[in-house]
Amino acid sequence: MRILAIIPAYNEEESIVATVAELGEVAPEVDYVVINDGSSDSTADVCRRHGFNMVDLPVNLGLTSGFQTGMKYALERGFDYAVQFDADGQHRPEFISAMVEEAELSGADIVIGSRFLDKDKPASARMAGSALIKAIVKLTTGQTINDPTSGMRLYGKAMIQRFAKENDLSPEPDTLAYLMRQGAKVSEVQVDMRERMAGESYLSFSKSISYMMRTCASILFLQWFR
Amino acid sequence: MNIALRVFLVLGAVVAFAVVVRKIKKSDMQARDSVFWLIFIGALVLLAVFPQIAFVASQVLGFESPSNFILLAVIAILLIKVFSLSSDIAVLRQKQTTIVQEIALREKSDTD
Repeated sequence: MRILAIIPAYNEEESIVATVAELGEVAPEVDYVVINDGSSDSTADVCRRHGFNMVDLPVNLGLTSGFQTGMKYALERGFDYAVQFDADGQHRPEFISAMVEEAELSGADIVIGSRFLDKDKPASARMAGSALIKAIVKLTTGQTINDPTSGMRLYGKAMIQRFAKENDLSPEPDTLAYLMRQGAKVSEVQVDMRERMAGESYLSFSKSISYMMRTCASILFLQWFR
Repeated sequence: MNIALRVFLVLGAVVAFAVVVRKIKKSDMQARDSVFWLIFIGALVLLAVFPQIAFVASQVLGFESPSNFILLAVIAILLIKVFSLSSDIAVLRQKQTTIVQEIALREKSDTD
């Protein structure tokens, strides 16, 4: 069984080395590929210097297309599972094996590394957004996803194929809801996450509002036309 | 429709025509991209020279004045153009994304 961790990296020179090193130490059975998404800092140089396995996008494409590059790589090389793994150190590699185990046991197409499966959400603006998306997903799919905004997701072969070939799939909650409505089986595993170690989030606070509106509109309305 | 609007239409058409011709000469624009604008310019001149067209159209469609009809027609045509540009950009963006991914993945395969 071959597992690939896809690590999209945009300006992550401060954290990429620690992230990849930890992955290698804690989960040596997992292969990885860093997708350098046209970083303007020295992310690519740092990766080359350390001999990291990297696909180097010449211009910045954004998270969706960067992640898709990783899925294309996984499909090309026949991986069984691909896990979306943050470059900033939020995700902890010790949980990957539990997610793979869950996928094998339950036959799930997607396994979410969920922060709130057994634990309660802390009260914050961001978590209120997460709860809203959870409610909308429940409304449209009839299924409960406790942590729809978790960025740590494991995808099986069928999903690798689809993400690589279809251009309107993104590693976001709206795509999750869309795939569930099409019959994809989604399961969750409790994981812990850390605060970001360094760098700036893809989702800065100013972008959070537009992210929420886009996600909700997409799940509620656009799905009827997809 | 007063004479001022008619003169304005012709002047606008002349300027637009000059701009389009210049773009084609400098090869900034290909002939097939200019067809829309040449037809658009032709329509403006036609309306200025034969205002009866606008009179008849505005009567048939129930506009208060021919100038209202012309303004609405121009806005509608431009909206269609904007929409088609927006969808062209979406197609181009997708192609560009695919090309960039392909370049990076091939470079990766070559160095492995």
